Amino acid sequence: MSQFDVLFEPLKINKLTIRNRIVSTAHAEVYATDGGMTTDRYVKYYEEKAKGGCGLCICGGSSVVSIDSPQSWWSSVNLSTDRIIPHFQNLADAVHKHGGKIMIQITHMGRRSRWDGENWPNLMSPSGIREPVHRATCKTIEEEEIWRVIGDFAQAARRAKEGGLDGVELSAVHQHMIDQFWSPRVNKRTDQWGGTFENRMRFGMEVLKAVREEVGPDFVVGLRITGDEFHPDGLNHDDMKEIAAYYNATGQIDYFGVVGSGCDTHNTLANVIPNMSYPPEPFLHLAAGIKEVVDVPVIHAQNIKDPNQAKRIIEAGCVDFVGMTRAHIADPHLIAKIKMDQVDQIRQCVGANYCIDRQYMGLDVLCIQNAATSREYMGLPHIIEKTDGPVRKVVVVGGGPGGLEAARVAAERGHNVTLIEKADELGGQLTLAARAPQRDQIAGITRWLVMELERLGVDIRLGTAADENLVRELKPDVCVLATGGRPFVEQNPEWGADEGLITASWDILSGKVEPGKNILIYDTICEFSGMSTADYAAAKGSLVELVTDDIKPGVGIGGTTFPTYYRSLYEKEVIMTSDFLLEKVYREGDNLVAVLENEYTGQREERVVDQVVVENGIRPNEELYYALKEESRNKGQIDNEALFDIKPQPVLSESGDGMILWRLGDCVSQRNVHAAMYDALRLCKDL
Amino acid sequence: MSFEWLHPALIATALVLAVIGAVRRVSLWRAGQPDQVNLMAGLMAMPKRYLHDLHDVVERDKYMSKTHAATGGGFVLSAVLIILVHLFDVDSQILAWALLASSALMFVGALFVFKRRLNPPSRISKGPWMRLPKSLLAFAGSFFILTLPAAGILPEGFLLQTGNVLLTVVLTALIIWGMGEMFFGMSWGGPMKHAFAGALHLAFHRRQERFGGGRSTGLKPVDLSVVEEFNPATSDKQVLGVAKPKDFKWNQLLGFDACVQCGRCEAMCPAFAAGQPLNPKKLIQDMVIGLAGGDDAKYAGSPYPGKEVGNAKGGPELIITDGLVSPETLWSCTTCRACVEECPMMIEHVDAIVDMRRFLTMEKGETPNKGAEILDNIIATDNPNGYSPASRTNWAADQNLPVMSDVKQAEVLFWVSDGAFDMRSQRILRSFVKLLKAANVDFAVLGDEELDSGDVARRLGDDAAFQNLAKRNLETLSKYKFSKIVTTDPHAYHCLRNEYQDLGSNALDGVEVLHHTTFLNELVQAGKLRLDSFNGGTVTYHDPCYLGRYNGEYEAPRELLRSLGIEIAEMERSGFRSRCCGGGGGAPITDIPGERRIADMRMEEVNSTGAELVAVGCQQCTAMLEGVAEPRPEVKDIAEILAGQLIEEVH
Repeated sequence: MSQFDVLFEPLKINKLTIRNRIVSTAHAEVYATDGGMTTDRYVKYYEEKAKGGCGLCICGGSSVVSIDSPQSWWSSVNLSTDRIIPHFQNLADAVHKHGGKIMIQITHMGRRSRWDGENWPNLMSPSGIREPVHRATCKTIEEEEIWRVIGDFAQAARRAKEGGLDGVELSAVHQHMIDQFWSPRVNKRTDQWGGTFENRMRFGMEVLKAVREEVGPDFVVGLRITGDEFHPDGLNHDDMKEIAAYYNATGQIDYFGVVGSGCDTHNTLANVIPNMSYPPEPFLHLAAGIKEVVDVPVIHAQNIKDPNQAKRIIEAGCVDFVGMTRAHIADPHLIAKIKMDQVDQIRQCVGANYCIDRQYMGLDVLCIQNAATSREYMGLPHIIEKTDGPVRKVVVVGGGPGGLEAARVAAERGHNVTLIEKADELGGQLTLAARAPQRDQIAGITRWLVMELERLGVDIRLGTAADENLVRELKPDVCVLATGGRPFVEQNPEWGADEGLITASWDILSGKVEPGKNILIYDTICEFSGMSTADYAAAKGSLVELVTDDIKPGVGIGGTTFPTYYRSLYEKEVIMTSDFLLEKVYREGDNLVAVLENEYTGQREERVVDQVVVENGIRPNEELYYALKEESRNKGQIDNEALFDIKPQPVLSESGDGMILWRLGDCVSQRNVHAAMYDALRLCKDL
Repeated sequence: MSFEWLHPALIATALVLAVIGAVRRVSLWRAGQPDQVNLMAGLMAMPKRYLHDLHDVVERDKYMSKTHAATGGGFVLSAVLIILVHLFDVDSQILAWALLASSALMFVGALFVFKRRLNPPSRISKGPWMRLPKSLLAFAGSFFILTLPAAGILPEGFLLQTGNVLLTVVLTALIIWGMGEMFFGMSWGGPMKHAFAGALHLAFHRRQERFGGGRSTGLKPVDLSVVEEFNPATSDKQVLGVAKPKDFKWNQLLGFDACVQCGRCEAMCPAFAAGQPLNPKKLIQDMVIGLAGGDDAKYAGSPYPGKEVGNAKGGPELIITDGLVSPETLWSCTTCRACVEECPMMIEHVDAIVDMRRFLTMEKGETPNKGAEILDNIIATDNPNGYSPASRTNWAADQNLPVMSDVKQAEVLFWVSDGAFDMRSQRILRSFVKLLKAANVDFAVLGDEELDSGDVARRLGDDAAFQNLAKRNLETLSKYKFSKIVTTDPHAYHCLRNEYQDLGSNALDGVEVLHHTTFLNELVQAGKLRLDSFNGGTVTYHDPCYLGRYNGEYEAPRELLRSLGIEIAEMERSGFRSRCCGGGGGAPITDIPGERRIADMRMEEVNSTGAELVAVGCQQCTAMLEGVAEPRPEVKDIAEILAGQLIEEVH
């Protein structure tokens, strides 16, 4: 008997049997281009989940029903035209072929969008109140428009049905049109569409009625709602129970999806897709509360990443289906792996929120650690087949994410792989990143890769600094350098790195240097490293000022992640100063003086501190590369045309003497985890 | 001369004693329960069975086969001729010469027996068996010499001349010895008993169908009326299963007596090899002790591993498990039938073991370890692991399988079996479904109406639970129309094919029951599946016991693998000599400790072929072999391998 049997108990939604209790819930993929049509990329992305065993995919987060709810900002699916129907047929076939079911979320986003593009619409909302996250101003929707949008919902549902999808999910979450009507915070109307409970409910009820009339009783219609908006003037949990019960009483809703938190402020938005700073399933209680008042299945997603966790939730009866959406982005085969008794081989989501943070910037959703996700259409594999070509000796130097991924992929291909790492542990910069408060889970990326390397029998040599002689001795056919970089603290000689006046952020995070009592952290990068260093030092009791020449500290961090840093930094009274350059550091007695200069006025300020920490990015470690470059067969070059086309590197099929030499990751130039792992995968998958 | 009467008298005496012994022996067998056997037909068929079925088994050891043909053939012929020439004094030189020839033949054979016994393998029993070659030589030699005068080679009366007293005395002594072994010993319990009992066993065998290669079961439904109509007056006379030797059918007792203690069963028994306390040869010898009364002090073969010889006592009226055979011996058996397959005397060890288990389970409630829990599960949930009956089709929630209750008829009924509950086995099921769909087979499943086949219950001795399941399954089956049942589970296959027919239902009349490899092979041969060739390295094939030995299907799985271009790296123990995975007969449930795990030994054999993949045709084998610690070759059902090579049509 498998401990996970409870996850594999099929359950019906309306008349639709879902093969297991695991759902990929609606999220914006940002893959629907060509005016909001689902593409080959889109289809393959969902097909992979279905192939991996996912019970139900609800695709198309915030797919629009009307032309005045813009789709282009997030390349969302456009259901305002019949042109979508054949695209849906491809999508439905691809998922059904593997026994999965697929529905789509449909919505009118109301005020929660941008008007400054596409058709340049006037955005609409019940009372014309501005939405802060998108800085979106809007008009007050008129009666005629209300009825038109209701009709648009019905037509969109028809298109989903005609396209062969298994159902639609009405979005009444994230402050879209339906819940804009619900919430007294933004619905100030005094006509039949506002004021009393029934009036506020009316728009949603009319949408439901129209949709049901169009699609009939058997087509699945679900409703996704929040469990609590977490705004004092918004809908609280009791309100939401009342609303859920009210809609449930119609008998027309086939399931409820429940999300904790509203999201029309930056801070609440971060709750919606809880990053690694959150505990597991932080808002399950809200979904369980809704389940108490409805009699159809309840779906809940939010930080459910682990099969044991999913099983526990289902077994406890809190909800009927668990959403494991980011978990599927990290590993679309997670269910197959549960079934294959390979739970240890699941690449688990670490909550880095690279996916959603890209989405909020209007960029396609990608996984920080799984470069194959959403690139299935390009031929990037989730399951790496053994090579039927020659078995090669592969030496990878550097055990950061890029090197680990290269070693993993090469080993999966069946090659003999040796991985050399200078440090005593693997992980590279991930190890540093994981030392910051609430950032420990990022080490999960390393953990999985190391477990895979062990499973695959890679020869791992720790505490070994590779030089050209060591590499030569190993006689590799292919040598992959992923030697990373080192802090670039000497860029401005006035900082006094050579005189030991400044400390690199890495040395603080690694614990090599104790944070001082009163410190200034100068961060030119404005991503995780500076914020993490500040948070780490503050947690150790330092008084911290975080200074950047950029427009705000952490500006490079995405929308679901900077709020959790801010919560932590403000709470620890870290002073965040923007628009100042670090001009110079000098010693004065026991103290250091940091000279800052305002970028816009040139005005200078000084800070007397006992430690100046600099985060200025890294310089690549390229010595080994240049030592080996000349003797290598390909002179260290990567054929970019083949690389970008996901084709095998031509040098692999050419004969010649000497090793093939590639370098990837930060030892080329500083990019990020995904970039290093993407290069590792696309280079090594054809090895 | 005054001594002319001597040898005829000796012969007559020996024969009379032999007849008395035979009558006594027969009476021992007759203490057993009645069984319906057509005595005449059996006797008529006996020579053919000897020359065909028995000889086929003996023939596997060419040395012994030839030796036995010479010795046994020489003896049978000699015995008849001795009676004619020396007892009835038929004056015929031809007969005398024939007797010379036959005894010479026997003598030569006996020399080879002698040679074999010089350095005997450990499986062979020693003790009285060590004197047998000498007895054979004595018998053949003495009668050869005794016959010389009758053949005219020596003068008439030569041997009885006073001058040859010494020769006569020696010769007479040899004749007494020879006849003592061959005639007296044959019916009074010497090694030659095997010839007497063995011949009759061939005639009156309990499983007549097996001759000529028929497939059947010796496990007949237990008469449960004793339970249904409880009568205190007779309740202690009627027992469920076999408690005492006399509870066996009479022809089973006869079968035990046929044992030649050659130990071929011992050499094949996986439990014995694993150091579990079972040795099929010793078990049969203990049964002989049981039927005749006595103890095992004279047993001169390998013991039950871990148990000393000399402590077993029994008698026809004594409870077997109270001192003759310990329950753990009975629970060590995987019911793999390796012993049965290997036994030249056609003894049915496994049936006897299950008969005795029936007593332990149904009368005593002493199924060890997880046994009781599993049986409770079967009773409560209709499946051994106690899954919710409503979850039986969960695995197929995404398969859109036609269900019989909807479609009422289909060409093929896919019997899913309890693999439905197990995630590993579900992969086999899904693969098979994929193949069925690809070949456009008109099939349906019973869905939640299907119940466990009853295999585990029956092997654990709970025939009541078996019959209950079987009857309800048959009732379900009788509601629908189909011409074939196909299953991926050889255990269910055996039950459906060979065991359900005893339960008085016509639901399976005219229905062909097939293992999925047989069916898939038909599809492949008919060109209904397009398959890519397989290049996944070296492959070996593990024959499931219930598919191979129980049902004779060795070829279809191999042909399927060959159709993928696979050259099978055969294990030394394969085909009818395949070694059990350790998973049959409820052995993993009763879990009797040994020194090794059977599955580990089997995997060593897999490893010795250098295979990277071991193909199987049974979910139980898959589970057992995958239970072996890694690193080890991959284990896949043939359906999985095939599905992996299926060329799918692109729409």
